[in-house]
Amino acid sequence: MILECKDLTKTFVGKRAVSNVNLSLEKGRIYGLLGENGSGKTTWMKMIAGLTKPSAGEILYKDHPLCYRDKAEIAYMSTEPFFYDYMKVSDVGQYYEDFFSDFDREKFTEIVGKIGLEDNMKVRNLSSGMSAKLRIAATLSRKAVLCLLDEPLNGIDYKAREEIISLILDEAGEENTVVISTHLLEEVESFVDEAIFIKAGEVLKVTDLEQERITSGRSLADIYMDIM
Amino acid sequence: MGKLIKYEWRKQRTSRVVILISLAACLVLFLGGLIFQNDPALAVAILLMVFGSIFVLFYTGIESILVLNRDLKTKQSYMLWMVPRSVWEILGAKYICAFLQMLFVFGIFVAAACLCTVAAVLSGGGIRELVKAVESLVRSMANVRVDWGMILIDLIWFAVSMLIGWTEVILVGFLAVIISRTVLIRSKFAGVLSAVLFFVIIFLIERGMSMLGTLPWGNVSGAAPGLEIWQIVYYLLMSVILFLVSGWLSEKKLSV
Repeated sequence: MILECKDLTKTFVGKRAVSNVNLSLEKGRIYGLLGENGSGKTTWMKMIAGLTKPSAGEILYKDHPLCYRDKAEIAYMSTEPFFYDYMKVSDVGQYYEDFFSDFDREKFTEIVGKIGLEDNMKVRNLSSGMSAKLRIAATLSRKAVLCLLDEPLNGIDYKAREEIISLILDEAGEENTVVISTHLLEEVESFVDEAIFIKAGEVLKVTDLEQERITSGRSLADIYMDIM
Repeated sequence: MGKLIKYEWRKQRTSRVVILISLAACLVLFLGGLIFQNDPALAVAILLMVFGSIFVLFYTGIESILVLNRDLKTKQSYMLWMVPRSVWEILGAKYICAFLQMLFVFGIFVAAACLCTVAAVLSGGGIRELVKAVESLVRSMANVRVDWGMILIDLIWFAVSMLIGWTEVILVGFLAVIISRTVLIRSKFAGVLSAVLFFVIIFLIERGMSMLGTLPWGNVSGAAPGLEIWQIVYYLLMSVILFLVSGWLSEKKLSV
């Protein structure tokens, strides 16, 4: 087991964003984190990424309580732009290289070229789609043990989606775990191993999609509609 | 920590460039005034540099607090807090950088002052004449002998005192921002409350120093400008306490 959440809860003013979540993630699996807007997907990811402190409960990473050192093995891609305004594309690569020992600069350069970005482009001048591509390039250029992708396909054009999915599949392997939060069920159905359905901060169900296909033959969208 | 400092240092680059360009413009005005013997130009340049140095030192400190606020409030905070570094390293880098920023500003204004002095002396006919003129002025006014060595030490001590005092204020500002993003995060009035807290903490620190000043060993001699040694120690101790409280709050409560 790579990650375990025990009664994980996050409360904001008058609202429980994540409520008593008990969840275990296994090595070598791709998880789809599925839920409506405001269901707690981002808050859960931010807690695992060490950006947000839980209000209650516990997060165990590789059987020990999550600590700042684990960020060296956990990659998080936010759904919103977060690079410093002054940065150019190459600066983003340098930043990741400076702080993450698992970052592959050559891979970053290769991905950046493939998705149509140039080293000297200013981050603040990028369109939302280009900015999303840059975030994906930086995150997937890490050989992270646990990779958390928050809406990686949002704002990405159809052609680029294929490239990004291919990058995610390249990243996924026996030794690492990928969690993707998304609304685009059809886009991820083909490669997600397990779907985590989350609603109003609570995990409703974790479904092994391969098993589900064999037993019921239902699509991910059908399961989603049933559960939600 | 070096890499953290590198990126922190970069965040205030624009301000440094603006300050350098403005200072260079003042120097050109001063030198122009000297060459063309234009007294109003000289006066304007000196005034701008004197008041500019105070304003700029003040501004860079405040800007450090604003940068911290941005690093806790906006999505850019992820850049800082997603890296595998402890809260202590991240805050430590910020504190060191804020101090270095002020040191840099102070340093370039001291360099500018030295440059102006040298230029004025060269233009006015040699340093010996200047020294004699100052000594004779002081003798006629106060009937004392000018000790240039002591004056230099006093000036350096005054500068060090000013830097330490101002750093203290910045550290209080950092703590106030961290409190607003942790303890007061649920409050609608977090900004106002943290501003009030800022002044309260400053008041308490100054009150503590006043109380220590009433003790026999705490008497201020007033012989030299700037702080007494015990006051410096007091400020350094307060800095450590402020850092520890800020770090502890961030460690326990901070969510970005």
